[in-house]
Amino acid sequence: MKVGKMISGTMRLALVLAIICGLAFPAAITGIGQALFPYQANGELAQVNNTTVGSYLIGQSTNNSHYLFNVRNDSASGVDPDITVASALAQAQVIHNSTGISMAYLAGLIHNNTHYSMFFFGTAYVDSLYLNIQIIDHFHNTVSVYGKIYNETGK
Amino acid sequence: MIGAEYLLIIALVWTIIIGLAWGLSKYLKKVYENEKTFLDWILNPVESFIYRIIGIDRNKEMDWKEYFLALFSFSIMTAVISFLVLFFQGFLPLNPMKFPDLSWSLALNTAMSISSNTNLQHYGGGSSLSYLSQMVGIQFLQFTSAATGLAVAVAIFRGFSGKKKDGAKLGNFYVDLVKSITRVLIPLSLISAVILIAFGIPQSLSGYSIVQTLSGAAQIIKVGPVASLVSIMQLGTNGGGYFSANSAYPLQNPSPLTNYLELGMMMLLPTSVIFLFGRMLGKKGEGRSIVLASYGLYAIDLAIALVPVFSLGAGMETRFGGFSPVFWTVTTTAFTTGSVNTSLAAMNPIVILSAFMGMIIQATPGGIGVGAMYMLMYVIITVFIVGLMAGKTPEYLGAKINAKDVKLAVLGFLSHPIIILIPTALAYATGAVHALGFGNGPVGFTQVFYEFTSSAANNGSDFLGTEANTVFFNVSTGIVMWAGRFIPILIMLAIAGRMQDRKRSAEIALRTDNLVFPVVLIASIFILAVLTFFPFLSIGPILMHLGGLKNAL
Amino acid sequence: MHFNQKRNRGKNVPPESLGESVSWPYVIKDSLLRLNPIRLIKNPVMFVVELSFIVVLLMTIAPGAFPHMAHQSDRVFYAYVAAILIVTVWFSTISDSFAEARSRTTAASLKKLEKEGIARRIRENEAGGRTIEMVKSSDLRKGDVILIEKGDQIPIDAEVVEGIAMVDESLLTGESAGVRKSKGDTVIGGATVISDSIVAVVNVNPDETYISKLVKMVESSERPKTPNEVALSILLLGLTGVFTIILVALIALSLLLNLGADLSVLIALYVCLLPTTIGALLPAIGISGITRMSKNSIIAKSGKAVETAGDADTILLDKTGTITVGNRLAHEFIPLGNHTERELAEAAFLSSWNDDTPEGRSIVELAFQRKFVPREYDALREGVHEEFSAVTRRSGITLVDSDDFTLPKGGREFFQRHRFRKKFELQTPLTEETIIHKGAPDAIRESASSVPEGYDETVTKITSTGGTPIAVSINGDILGLIYFKDVIKQGIMEKILGLKKMGIRPVMITGDHPLTAKSIAGEVGIDEFVAQAKPETKYQKVKDEQAENRIVAMIGDGTNDAPALAAADVGLAMASGTFAAKDAANMVDLESNPSKIIDVVMLGKQLLMTRGAVTTFSITNDVAKYFAIVPVMFASISALDALNILGLSPHIAVLSALIFNALVIPALIPIALKGTRFRPQSTMRIFLKNLLLYGVGGVLLPFAAIKLIAVFLVFSGGVL
Repeated sequence: MKVGKMISGTMRLALVLAIICGLAFPAAITGIGQALFPYQANGELAQVNNTTVGSYLIGQSTNNSHYLFNVRNDSASGVDPDITVASALAQAQVIHNSTGISMAYLAGLIHNNTHYSMFFFGTAYVDSLYLNIQIIDHFHNTVSVYGKIYNETGK
Repeated sequence: MIGAEYLLIIALVWTIIIGLAWGLSKYLKKVYENEKTFLDWILNPVESFIYRIIGIDRNKEMDWKEYFLALFSFSIMTAVISFLVLFFQGFLPLNPMKFPDLSWSLALNTAMSISSNTNLQHYGGGSSLSYLSQMVGIQFLQFTSAATGLAVAVAIFRGFSGKKKDGAKLGNFYVDLVKSITRVLIPLSLISAVILIAFGIPQSLSGYSIVQTLSGAAQIIKVGPVASLVSIMQLGTNGGGYFSANSAYPLQNPSPLTNYLELGMMMLLPTSVIFLFGRMLGKKGEGRSIVLASYGLYAIDLAIALVPVFSLGAGMETRFGGFSPVFWTVTTTAFTTGSVNTSLAAMNPIVILSAFMGMIIQATPGGIGVGAMYMLMYVIITVFIVGLMAGKTPEYLGAKINAKDVKLAVLGFLSHPIIILIPTALAYATGAVHALGFGNGPVGFTQVFYEFTSSAANNGSDFLGTEANTVFFNVSTGIVMWAGRFIPILIMLAIAGRMQDRKRSAEIALRTDNLVFPVVLIASIFILAVLTFFPFLSIGPILMHLGGLKNAL
Repeated sequence: MHFNQKRNRGKNVPPESLGESVSWPYVIKDSLLRLNPIRLIKNPVMFVVELSFIVVLLMTIAPGAFPHMAHQSDRVFYAYVAAILIVTVWFSTISDSFAEARSRTTAASLKKLEKEGIARRIRENEAGGRTIEMVKSSDLRKGDVILIEKGDQIPIDAEVVEGIAMVDESLLTGESAGVRKSKGDTVIGGATVISDSIVAVVNVNPDETYISKLVKMVESSERPKTPNEVALSILLLGLTGVFTIILVALIALSLLLNLGADLSVLIALYVCLLPTTIGALLPAIGISGITRMSKNSIIAKSGKAVETAGDADTILLDKTGTITVGNRLAHEFIPLGNHTERELAEAAFLSSWNDDTPEGRSIVELAFQRKFVPREYDALREGVHEEFSAVTRRSGITLVDSDDFTLPKGGREFFQRHRFRKKFELQTPLTEETIIHKGAPDAIRESASSVPEGYDETVTKITSTGGTPIAVSINGDILGLIYFKDVIKQGIMEKILGLKKMGIRPVMITGDHPLTAKSIAGEVGIDEFVAQAKPETKYQKVKDEQAENRIVAMIGDGTNDAPALAAADVGLAMASGTFAAKDAANMVDLESNPSKIIDVVMLGKQLLMTRGAVTTFSITNDVAKYFAIVPVMFASISALDALNILGLSPHIAVLSALIFNALVIPALIPIALKGTRFRPQSTMRIFLKNLLLYGVGGVLLPFAAIKLIAVFLVFSGGVL
């Protein structure tokens, strides 16, 4: 039976390809990814004191923007951690006023971590979570500042 | 006037992609014409194994009917597998997040959507699909539908290039499909996926991680087999993202670098396939001519989209700025991929108008394989209309165009407005639009019209997203996606099958491998395809623009 | 050198001018009858325009029947729209009626040739003798034997079986010179015998004669569509389908979204977008293509053949008759050895006296011109003429002294023309019996006792300059060579240049020596030739060209040509040719002018071009119409005014676009009937020119025209 043979052949082909493309391929990529780039493959997780506090790729809204950089919430994904440099500088002023962390440090931090949407030009932006963790790491030994921030943020 | 730096970026992306596509087309020709390639040592045994399992004679040549039948039954089979996996995902393994089954209409819509290379997403990928669903329900079909596109293109090219040897027909669908996967899509996806991982796209099967943020809130980091899916979905112009926000979601598109990588990935194969056309004909000029026409249309799309001032605003991702979403939106519709890196609602209505044009034309350069196919459909109609003016019976590639070809091409051309306009009217008539909370204004019309245009063009980008997860939209767009996929494929395979045996004139009087032809082709496509939809565009995005209306975000 | 069909070829063929002898009352009446929807359904585009008219008419009468889509206050406007719509259809039927009336006029003029006559039918009686009965020409049947005497009009197409006669075919062909018809030749009904009488066998039934066939075909409105016409009709149907979907969707959306569109406006947009121009003119273009052929006295057996002619890649041209005038003529006497020019010329004169071929006559004439008239003139009276034979490839005369003789036909004419009365004297007395031979140089050499110095060199020299050498000997002594030269037909070089420009390869076929062929081909600009062609060479050449996927057009007249004519894609047979040739060909030239094949190709191209140009124009016109109507389509949306680049108020916009749409049809009737003008150029250049004219022009013109009509409408009293 020609049609029957074709259907059974087609079905077997679909199943074989489902295994190759749907299971073997992602599994292999997972293996390669985990072996070569474990940090990236697991979502660029951010850690503070060996505790995972998020992913550098996912923004976090802080409930107290006086101490940390906050994300914008009207983006397409709604979870991107990036803010424009202009917004970061404005927020830095607020943080400076609340925490006493010097503007020079904050501006330098922003400046050093600025990226551009077109590599060398376009929108200048910074990763708010990255900045926050930099601040936390920087003042790690300065218990008061660290503690204050940490406490303020709910820990 | 936009800055020169933006034009430079466009020029750079184009140059790199066209260069790569040109080079890749050499390899593609070897693959489909059974020449030796560097992967033979490993792939020959693998393929032999696959052919043995499915029990087919790999040397059997198929005519256009057999080719279509094999293709269509295979597509049904993949959709069935996808439907079952999605519909029963709650019972199936690799579901660490314990997502429940999808409803029948959503599972049906999704299966039809992915198997037709559309990737219209009425489901929220990151929030409702298990790993197994993402991998077997979605990613597997992204491979097969892209491979089907390649196979169709190659079969059609064989037909257009004429009978090369005795007994030659359009080729063997199974062989073309398997080789497309093993020799083209898997190697390219593998390289791309690893690069994407290196630049920050996750690839893990260990489940979403729940972390406590700096502010102490719980946050779900949705890691999964993202890189493997994103690589094939861009390369295969599928466009269905791992996440609902698609390539706007940081885990799918973390940086400007991945952004332009992914953008280039969706352009690569459709462009390369057009070059392959010229190579398979043995007339590279003919391929170049189609590339010129496709990219000419693409350039027009871009020029229109870049008329309004762009800037970073609500609904866009900071890291991509204001320009990239416009460039991407035009490109994703021009290549009928459908992945987005912004919220479409954030785009100026003129950008949306440009997006419509890409989906109305479907050959700018269009989706993988099928873009070239649509272009050949336009070529036949165009050559027929204007070719008579040269005082000879119109010919393409030396083959005379006859009444049956015109009939088939016109049917293909006719099917597009039917499957867009009738469902759009039905959506209003049945109250399905109002059920979504839309009134009768141009904003709602634009979004609903876009939904069906995107479905018919097998694009998949949309405004409605998970909102359209209603029985009406699931079923109607499902039908439109399949009609939009398989009717033109059937028609163009038939034309190719008929063309194959046709005598070729020794002298080509009206050359199509020059600079004039692409211009004529572009003009004809504008008048025939774009203007056909002009009355509807005028009460949609054009009216929104003129009336100063914006999509609600 | 603009190409347009030849004017005024024969007395009875009307000159090319529109409207001549077309009965306008008939056209008007016929075009109105064609508005009958049942008849119109064959033209789907016009049929839907008529349906649209009916809908708008209903809106005028009962606007209430169209809730939300028609308004009582707009009834005057609806009436205008309806009127323009029906006039649009009417313009289309007028073009049909007009084209058909014109083709009938042409047919009628050809039909006159076939008036009823009396024929003399020969009956063999039992005794083996013949009796002649007078019958009506319409009573003749195939196979009847007829006698045609001097002064008779040939009653029907027939093949000569006995006798030789001069026949005047000028009524049919426009050539005034009489044509000699002898056994095996075909005589065409309608021609007149001007000398002598012939017996001929009728080879067709009265309703099968070529003229009958032509008239039938030209008159038939049911002619089958050509392949390109079929394809074009499908395209038009497809476009009609697309625009119908748009119309339906617009009506639905207007109602569903309360856009307030008026049905008449949507219908106006629909009709404007429909390819009405080409839809209206397509039938007329087809009919007039055939008419143009018949005005050139060519009967095309199918419209397809005409189209194929336009596609020709290669044309096989017979040298004789196509490139050169008839036959070659004596040009120079070249004496060899110690013979003088006079000796050679006189011998040639004598040998040609009885030779009634054009070559023979030309020798006599040349000799006379150069005053080399032999004194052995008397000897001619008893001359024994040796006919040319293909075996010996020579002819000759054996002279003996004698008293009276009659001048052969050619000689008589020649002498009369030159008032030749002088009695000649022999310069060199002849021996009792003198044999003069003339013929092909190698044939003469074989029978010669000695070959003079420089013989071969002179032969080669003549051959390589395109001439033909004929040697003359007396009693085996070669006197020298006669240089025969071909006379190139006037205007043939331009035609060949035109062919080459259009990418068509002319190939010359000739029985000549390759060197001669090369020289002549070179002179007229033909790059390829087949020399020393035998009858089967033509067929082989057709097959060879076709094997390389070329489309071959050729002419032929002899029975030998029949296989090649049948094999060729376009075979044009001469009416003077044999029946077999005409039967095998797909076109017959009543004028028997071989170079007409080139005109046929041009006509074919012109036909295709006209269709393409009108189609392109029709489609590109849509751009302006969109911009005229879409901005004013929805009453409730004023924001679209920005698209209104023509700045027209709604009703004026709709009416202007519709009026333009209607007026384009009669405006293009001349192009449809006469064909687009073109000069021979490369296909690409012709294409680009037409593209610019009808494509770009088709986009731009309507903007200006619609605006102009709108200004006129407003100016002329602002009806709305």
